[in-house]
Amino acid sequence: MSDAAIRIDRLVKRYVDARSRSEFVAVDGISFSVEPGEFFGLLGPNGAGKTTTINAIVGLAKITSGSISLFGHDVERDWRAARTTVGLAPQEYNFDRYLNIRDVLIYQAGYYGLRGPAVRRRADDLLERFDLSSKARQPFTRLSGGMKRRLTLARALMHEPRLLILDEPTAGVDVELRIELWTFLKELKAAGTTIVLTTHYLEEAEELCDRIGIIEAGKVVALERTSTLIGNRSLQDVFLELTRR
Amino acid sequence: MNWIGLQTLVKREIVRSFSIINQVVWPPVITTLLYIFVFGVGLGSQIKTIDGVSYATFLIPGLIMLQVIDQTYSESSSSLFQGRFMNSIQELLIAPLSAVEMVAGYIVSGLLRALFIALLITILGFVFVHTLPQNWGLYLLVVFLVAVLFSALGIIFGLLAEKFDHIATLTTFVITPLVFVGGTFTSNAFLPPLLRRIAEFNPMFHMIDAFRYSYAGHGDAPLGLSLAIVGTLAAAALAVALRMTASGYKLRV
Repeated sequence: MSDAAIRIDRLVKRYVDARSRSEFVAVDGISFSVEPGEFFGLLGPNGAGKTTTINAIVGLAKITSGSISLFGHDVERDWRAARTTVGLAPQEYNFDRYLNIRDVLIYQAGYYGLRGPAVRRRADDLLERFDLSSKARQPFTRLSGGMKRRLTLARALMHEPRLLILDEPTAGVDVELRIELWTFLKELKAAGTTIVLTTHYLEEAEELCDRIGIIEAGKVVALERTSTLIGNRSLQDVFLELTRR
Repeated sequence: MNWIGLQTLVKREIVRSFSIINQVVWPPVITTLLYIFVFGVGLGSQIKTIDGVSYATFLIPGLIMLQVIDQTYSESSSSLFQGRFMNSIQELLIAPLSAVEMVAGYIVSGLLRALFIALLITILGFVFVHTLPQNWGLYLLVVFLVAVLFSALGIIFGLLAEKFDHIATLTTFVITPLVFVGGTFTSNAFLPPLLRRIAEFNPMFHMIDAFRYSYAGHGDAPLGLSLAIVGTLAAAALAVALRMTASGYKLRV
């Protein structure tokens, strides 16, 4: 049996406020797996624990208890191998403001231990693919919102990760770009990349995801194939029913 | 070891330094020239010698240390804090880079910036007061130890800070006063015995004194003692910076 792209086992993430000593459980013992090549949607209302789960997967959040492995590599014990498998496109624009956008991509590859002509070619190919070539020498601050969103995706793909995590990749972009990104993501999946998507656009999850997990108050409240989860209703109806507090 | 990742981080820090050239290169050059003309050429012309060397020759090593300390602390503290503030540090945190590689990246960047600034001021010293180090090995050793110490302190305060103001606190209330009373402009031999004894507990005095050995061939304190103090402080600061980075303090929530 091949290793799961993501295997999360009884993950708990608890935040402690040092001043008031109060605790907040953001993720409360969730378990699920994502298979290689799968397009998986992680949905939930604001504050449900989606971003915390993603942060735990990529190493931005310390795990309180439980475990996460990526393609068989534990994210804590075998962190270096685990991190090379995953690319993150965060919701925020956190680019390096001292680099032009071509260098943002080249330096990103460098942090993953890659350099040379192949890296420069890949950066140029991605800039071309995302229609950013004419802006290659400009800082990201000169890009429009849609361009920044495309750059976020290009950066996440620089080291050719087997697993791509997209945290609200189409937030704030126009319909035309959203559909363009959907087409690109379908191509990536067809090429074998495993994709995890969080989004508040339920039609996006319905269109793209093979399987959907819904988180509410740090717990998984649904985990089904998209078609099974929806049945003959809309995803919005199912979502509201499961997450109504 | 992710050597390419480490080199990339160092290269990124150099790009950053040269993109803020008005903070990195010109302030130390202009400040040093002002000190040379006001204290070295102006006031210094009224002082025959200090410890057997001209006042201008006495002054240059102190001015180099002043700028090396300031520049290395600024390099790592502001870069790290800005990365946290803008969230761009997440690029490093999700990459396969260890805490050792991250800290080494900031330390090496600080060291390169320190060497650049030190050599620039050394050239100014040669051009305007015709003085050069007599012992280049000692010169490089002290710059290395001081750069490691203040780059590591920069990492520590870059992690502790909640706003830019906090980074300036160490500079304003600790570093600048201690450097100014640490023998930058005058010899400790001029102080009354009690104050001289107190001044020997100032670590900046030992940095400047050890560095002055490389120019004058002698100093106020035993060279071995000064090097041991600076080396110990550098090792301790490095250990704390590594510990904080490895634990993810204010980096990984």
